[in-house]
Parts: sequence; structure tokens; C-alpha cells
Amino acid sequence: MPATKIFFNTRLKLLFFVACAACGIIALRLVDIQVLRHSYYLEMAERNRTQVLYQTAPRGRIFTSDGVVVASNAPSFSFYYLAAGRKDIPYLQQLAQDFAPKLGMSEEALTEKLTEGLKSGKAIALAENLSPKTTIALQELQIYYPGVYLLEETKRDYPYGGFASHLIGYLGSMTDSEWRRRDPAMNYRLNSKIGKNGIEKKYEAELKGEDGGAYLEVDYRGRVRRVIEDRKWQPGSDVHLTLNFAVQRAAEDGLKSTSTGRGAAVALDTRTGAVLALASAPAYNPNIFVPYNDADVSNISKNISEYNLAIQGTYPPASTFKIITAIAALTDPDFDPSAHVNCPGHYDAGSRIFKCWKRTGHGLMNLLDGLANSCDVYFYDVAARVGAAAIERVQRAFMFGRPTGIDLPGERAGNLYGPTKRARNKSYWFIGDTLNLSIGQGELLVTPLKMAQFAAAIASKGNVYRPYYIEKLVSNRTGKETQVGKPEILNKADYPASTYDLIWTSLKYTTDTGTARWAKIPGLDVYAKTGTAQNPHGDDHAWFLAFAGKPGEEPSIAVVVFVEYGLHGSSAAGPIAREMLKAYFGVDDMGNPVAQRQSLLTQENYEELLETPAGE
Amino acid sequence: MLKEAVGRSKLDWILFGAMLGLVLVGALCIMSAMNSISFSNSVVRTHVLALCIGAGAFVAGWSFNYQIYDEQWKALYTFILILLVGVLLFGSYQRGSRSWFVLPFFSMQPSEICRVLTLLVAAAFLDRRGPRIRDTSSLIGLGLLLIPIFGLIMLQPDFSSIVITFPALVVLLYCTGVNMFYLWLLVLFGAVAGVCTIGWTYIYLHPDLTQYALIKIFQQTSSNVLYMGGVCAAVALLGYGAWWFFRQLRIFLPSFYFVLATVVVLGGFFAGVFVDHQMKTYQRKRVEAFLAPKSDPQGAGYNVLQAQIAMGSGGVFGKGLFSGTQSRLGFVPEKHTDFILAVVGEELGLWGTLLVLGLYLVILWRLVMIGYSAGDRYGYLVCGGMFGMFFTYMLINFGMLIGIVPVAGIPLPFISYGGSNLVASLYALGVAQSVYARRIRS
Repeated sequence: MPATKIFFNTRLKLLFFVACAACGIIALRLVDIQVLRHSYYLEMAERNRTQVLYQTAPRGRIFTSDGVVVASNAPSFSFYYLAAGRKDIPYLQQLAQDFAPKLGMSEEALTEKLTEGLKSGKAIALAENLSPKTTIALQELQIYYPGVYLLEETKRDYPYGGFASHLIGYLGSMTDSEWRRRDPAMNYRLNSKIGKNGIEKKYEAELKGEDGGAYLEVDYRGRVRRVIEDRKWQPGSDVHLTLNFAVQRAAEDGLKSTSTGRGAAVALDTRTGAVLALASAPAYNPNIFVPYNDADVSNISKNISEYNLAIQGTYPPASTFKIITAIAALTDPDFDPSAHVNCPGHYDAGSRIFKCWKRTGHGLMNLLDGLANSCDVYFYDVAARVGAAAIERVQRAFMFGRPTGIDLPGERAGNLYGPTKRARNKSYWFIGDTLNLSIGQGELLVTPLKMAQFAAAIASKGNVYRPYYIEKLVSNRTGKETQVGKPEILNKADYPASTYDLIWTSLKYTTDTGTARWAKIPGLDVYAKTGTAQNPHGDDHAWFLAFAGKPGEEPSIAVVVFVEYGLHGSSAAGPIAREMLKAYFGVDDMGNPVAQRQSLLTQENYEELLETPAGE
Repeated sequence: MLKEAVGRSKLDWILFGAMLGLVLVGALCIMSAMNSISFSNSVVRTHVLALCIGAGAFVAGWSFNYQIYDEQWKALYTFILILLVGVLLFGSYQRGSRSWFVLPFFSMQPSEICRVLTLLVAAAFLDRRGPRIRDTSSLIGLGLLLIPIFGLIMLQPDFSSIVITFPALVVLLYCTGVNMFYLWLLVLFGAVAGVCTIGWTYIYLHPDLTQYALIKIFQQTSSNVLYMGGVCAAVALLGYGAWWFFRQLRIFLPSFYFVLATVVVLGGFFAGVFVDHQMKTYQRKRVEAFLAPKSDPQGAGYNVLQAQIAMGSGGVFGKGLFSGTQSRLGFVPEKHTDFILAVVGEELGLWGTLLVLGLYLVILWRLVMIGYSAGDRYGYLVCGGMFGMFFTYMLINFGMLIGIVPVAGIPLPFISYGGSNLVASLYALGVAQSVYARRIRS
């Protein structure tokens, strides 16, 4: 070691070790950031650079069984703000000031929306479903404002307004809880619209389709650099209903024209249980929800009637129930349907006098006359002889007191009325109960749909079908068809063919000469029964039950019409049933075939209609 | 034989290679970072020009005998002062400081070269003290010598220069062999100044804290003269108390130590006051972002967060040169200067950042080796100073990215865009090569 090196010390070496240690720590931290947390940061980087402008996919369409489009999609324009655009407050204020009048919003509301979009860092819809006029004005303005975009989307359109509104439902924005419970695989966005009721809600997953969108690469100021991917939307699956457009329409028009505007009309295919019409009044027009303004929707939904009277309204079936009493009587081997009972207009039950609806009395009545004239006294007499238990058994055979099993939420079961049930409730059964039951009054409650199921069961000689209203789903992507509803016999009301023959004869007689003359259509075999349910709270409710077929064929359609406070079954409900039958068989009042009076919307001419400018 | 050949070499090839590697990585990353910006050509052109000038500076530093700086340190000192006064008089005012000479083809930042020259001057001064280095007078002398330089830099103001030079000087003093007591005092000085500044900044950004009496008093000391007097009195009393306490214990330390400690603490305090008054809002925000980076991801913490996203998203192998989305789309701020490491990390991945770190370590290692092989004490001190300077650069740049150092706006030599810094750094390594070329052949 040369002496000249005396001036060296070891301090620099020491510092070098410190430097090595520091490098070690830095290297560890680098590994932590670049290897261990790589995926996290990579995702952040991807989120930084991509912005997606979503385009809502068209929802699946809804068709009736005869191919009429009752729910489709119309093009609409939405106005978006991409949050990564210029962010400074003065710019946003300027934006709000210029666009607010065009969008019909207040400046404050628009500024609030812009700020919200800014916070979320995502593209946000400032306005949806813009009118063509607004769209043109915005197209000119958007050139001057980077960050705002006009996008073509589709909106739900119901060409026939309130057609089967209770079945179809409507759309709306997601609520907080719906957002929390959403299926993550469905790629919902905060402004996605989902089905709120009916088919729209039930088949949301199938109808929705896959949203498309432009995946954009943006720089830190939100300027679009390039389109990474332009993904085309995938439309949702179509829903095919079993509804017959003409019958449903006849039912709705008929209900609308009643004095009270409240009621229900149901038509079933007697051979399958398929719903041909299921109308409930009051109805609503689902198009009013399409502007989707959250505040509006909650207001509107307060005012509309989601109450589906056809499945949720329970009423005494009144005289239509006499069919059951008649069947019960026919189960008694001692009962002679041709034997006459005198109707003086009242029936002495010992402790109390029961009146017939016709005060003057019907005179001598057998089963045929009794049903045709709906003579109460005849059925009092029959019921007193066969007993309430027999009537209850028939009720059970036709599954009264239980829901029809249709795939709709909130269906009411109604109420079975009979001595067994009374006994289970540890109460007494009186002769008056038997008499009330025989004419379908008292504690007995049914829904209009239940009665339609019953009518179809009589028409099919005992097959109690589960009603269904959706035939199939058809995927627009693969063309795959999924059968949804199929005929399902819930119970077989097994009575001898002679019993049904006699009932059919009586009901035919009722149509031809009795109370149900409203439903008589030349050239068709129509079997019908009226009913007028006593209502202690106001006017009586009107029932009309019918089934019909072409001569020589099995009856193919069963119709039940119920008009709340309609007073008389025949006059209030009868004409509606008649119109429905006419629509189903395509005949006029004289029974002659009619051509379709108006061209209906199929998908083809619907698209043509959309292309013609409004106002033409 | 080979070892001998290397031993006789006039150039430390390892140091040269490490330097070349860093410059290459830097040039590539600057080109990549600038790829998308319209003035890209101008940036790259300037960088190439700076590289040429830097190469000249390196050769100059290498070929001149470094002992000239020792002999002519007074002239060098005068040159520094002239440069710094000149920039205050004739410099152009950009981004809040008067630090630039605008020349016809490029701009020059004299404080960068002054940083290196200051170290040379300080080393020369300390070398001349010789055996008296442990005396207090050497330290005070150095202080008096450097105060004009620091003062002139503060007037620009150019804090980043001070942030680098001060630690480098401490390292230099440490290598010189000054009494550790003085070094601790210096550290104490820095700590008091730093804690006071950061504390006041924190209170400034969180005014609601002043409801607590102690914090309120602390806050007042930065602005109220009476409170400052109180602090002086308290510190003086504390120093006297310590002296008295040790005397009672029959430990007789020179009373001079206590006076010095008191003065240093007060000096640190007033330095803190000065910095606090000079600080601009954006600088306060940086301190805030460092103290709580997640508190405001869109605001002050944004830069560091985006830089980390860039690095992290690069992974092990990186996204490839010219393919980094974070830097190319502008999410990383100052990507070609202060945050160039984020670009390295994103495009070259972990290997890139480790390569840069490793090359820096190689440079530090060679500086140490050259220092120990130097022909005289001055050479050793020069290497110590350079070591301190590059070490500080490395620590601050990497530390800033990994979140252990506040964003200071300091470039990474050889890698970052910035001509003056590149030239000065190449010159510094040239001087180190000069020491190597004139080493003791053993």
C-alpha cells in the first residue's frame, strides 16, 4: 500500500453498500408493481384508454299466433357525452348553455348530468329518444363540441298501443335493487332499460339481446384516436304468443265500449288450453313508458292499472255456475233431467223464502228449460235433492278454488264453496248455503280466467287444461325455436259422455232460444250461458260463458266475458263474446265469411311503415 | 496480460459502457414517448444535438487533467457566480423561474452545469483544508463559500438543483472525513427544515386542523414574528439546558457544540420558513399527493398514479417500444422528462427498469472504484461528490415512481430529455474518467 493512499477512508465503500441496499429495495418494489400487481395495473391502463359508446340492441319482437307484430323496435337517437372529453367546468357550462334548450332540459339539470358523467368517467346518455327535428339541430352543434356524440339506437315500439298490455308489460329504468340483483353476465349498464311487467319482465333475459357499441381508444383528453372494435348488436329472441290478434282486439274493443270500462274477456282454445285472448280493462298503453324518463315512469306507473282483472279479480260466477249444479244432479242416478219442477217465482226453504230472478216465475221447468231460462227455483230444487256435497265434488273435478296455473304472476285462486270446506273450518252448513251455491252465489269466488278454463273443459268434455299464452321463442341469431307452452291436462273431469251431451244440448238451447241469444251466430254451433252476479255494493256483475265450433266439428274456442257492474250477462257481456266468436271464425253477423277488414302489421309492412316519414 | 492492458487503459470501459447503455435506452424511450406529439421531431432533434454537445463535454472532461479544477478553483468559483448572475440578468422567464439562457438554436440551463462545478469547487476547498478538515472552520468556510451559489439558485428559483446538490455535498463531506458530529448537524438541519416545511404545508392544505391549540401555535410560527422569537428562545433555552444537564453529569463537552447545535436547529427552522414562503400552490399539492396519494386521484396524485399504472401495465417484458398506451396517449405526464422511467417500465417492462437500475448501480460502483484508485485526494473527493449526485438522482427518480419520495420534478440523467442535464451529466462522468486515466497504477 503506497503511503500516498493515506488520504483514503472506507466511507465511500460504506456508501456503496448503502446504495446496493437501496437498489435492492427499489428492485423489490419494482417486482411488486410490475409483476405481482401487473394484471391490476394492466386493467387500469385498459380502462384509461378505452371508452365504449354502447348501442342498445333491439329487443326481441313479440308476435301473435297469426303473425302480427305487437311489440317491435323503432330507430331512435340518443345523445351521449363522453366523460373523458374536455373536462373543465367552463367548457361544461358552455355545453350546457348551448344544448339545454335543444334538449328541452334546464341548464342546471344538464350541468348536473354532465358532472355526473364526469365523475363516472364513462359515456353518459344526456337525452334519449330524440325527435328527428332535435336530431338535426344537434348534428350541427355536435361538430363544435368534442366529447358529445349522437348515436342511433332502437327504442321499443308497441304498434297497437295497449294491445294485450297486461300480458306484454312495459319497460323502464332499473331501480337500485334491480341494479344490485342484476345478472352480471347480461352486461347491463346503468341506463339499461329492463322489462318491468308481463312478458317484457318474464322473458327479459331472452328479449334483451346483446348490446353493441364502438370501443374507442382515447387519449388523456378524451380525444378519440381510433376505433378498436365496432361490435354489432345481437338482437334478442322473438316471442310468439298464442293470442289470436282479431279475437284479442275484439275483446279489448268490446271491453272498452262497456258502460263501466271494467271487465275481462278470455278466450281459450278448447283443444289445447292455449290462450286466444286475454283482455283486461282498464288497460294501459305501454308506449307511454318509452321516453323512459325516470321521474315520469314512476308517476305514470302510479296512475296506470297493472291490476289484471282477468286473473286477479274474483267474483261469484252466478248463473254460469248452474252448469256445475246440473252436472252434479246428473251424477245422481235418481235424477231425471226431463222431470218438471214448478217455478212460482220463489222457493220455500222452510226458514226462508228464496226468490227466482224472475219474480213472476217460470212455470214448469225441466233441466233444458231451467238452464235456458236460468231458472233459479229449478236449481234450488235440484240442489236440495242432490245435496251440496255432490256439487262440491264437481267443483273439485273442475278445480275450482285453485289457480288455473297460467304462467302469470299474481293469479288469484278464488274460493271453493262447499260443506267439506265449511266443516274443516268447524262451522255449520245450512240449507240456505246449498241453495246459494246452486246458483253460484255466496262465498264462491272465481276469476274470469278460471271460468274460461271451465268453459273449455266443458267444451272438451272434461279436460281441464292449464292455460298458456306463449307458444315459442325464436332466436334471431341461431333461428333456434324453443317451445314454451304446450297442452297440459291438469285434471280430467270424468263424467259420462251423456252428461256432457245433455249439457251441450242445454247450452245450445240456451243460445238458440234462451237467455244467451246474443251469442247466436248463424252457421256456427254456439253453446252459451249467461250470468248476473248479485253485488251488494252496487250494480250486478255480468258474466257470459260460451264455446263454439263449426257445425259437425268439436267446439274449438271457449270464451268468457266478465263486465264489472255490467248489470245483465246477456246484454252487457254477450255482445263482446259474440264479437270475439265472429272474429275467431272470421264471419259476419249472418255467419258469412268476411275478408280481413284492414291489413295488419306483419314484420315486413311494419318496417315499411317506419320508413315512411311521419305525418304522411 | 489482459488485466494489465485493462489496467493501463485511459478509459474505464465498464463505466463508459454503462453510460452508453443508459444513453441508448434514454434516446429510444424519448423517441417512443414523443412519437405521438406534433413537435416530436424538434424534441428528438434537440436531444441528438444535446448528445453531440454532451459527447464533446465528456471528451473535454476526460482529456483535461482534473487537477486543474483543484488548482484553479477560484476561477471556477467565479465562473459559477458569473453564470448564475448572468442567468438572473439575461435569462428568460419560463414556467415560474428565470433559469434559461435562450440561444439561437437551443436553450441552456446554467444551474445544471453549475451543479457539477459546485461539487468540483467544494472538493477543491475541502482538499485544501488537508488535515484541518475535522475543524469547525472548514465546515463554516464551506458554508460561507456555497451560500452565494445557493442564494443565486434560490433567486431563480430552482429547487430541484438544491435538492440534488445538498445531499451530494453531504456525501462529499462524509467522504472527506469531517467530524461526524457536523454531519449529524447537517442532517439535523435538513430534517428540521424538511419537517417544518412539510408540516406547514399539511396544515395549509387542511385548515380545519388549526382548531387544536398546539397545531395552531405551530402554524403561527411560520408567519408570526413573535412566534418565531418564541421558537428561537425555546431552542436556545433547550441548548442551554442540555449543556447544563451534561455538566451536572460531569460530562464535559465543549460548550461550543451546544451553541452550534442550537444555531443549526434555528437555521433549519428559518430555512424551512423561507422555503415555506417560497412554495407555490402546485408544490404544496405535490407534498399533499405524497402524504396521501389516494386522496385525490384526479388531482395531485394523478401523476404518480398514472406513472405507476404505466409501469405496472408493462409487466415483465413490457408492451414493446412505441407501443405503450399510457405514454403514447398522454396519460403519463412529463413522460419524456421527469417520468421517463414510467415509459421505460411500460414499454420495456421489468427488464427495462431493472436494466436502468443495474446500469446506475454499475456507474456508482465504478465511481467508487475510480475514487479508490485515484492518484490524489482530490480525485477521491471528486468521485465521492459524483457518487453522491448520481445516487441522489437515482433515489429520487425511482423513489418518486414507487411512491416513497414526493414528486420533485427531477430528471433522470442520461435517460430524460433535457439537454443541459445530459451535457452536465456526461461532463461529470468525463471528469471521473479523467481521474481514472490519471490513477495510481498498481
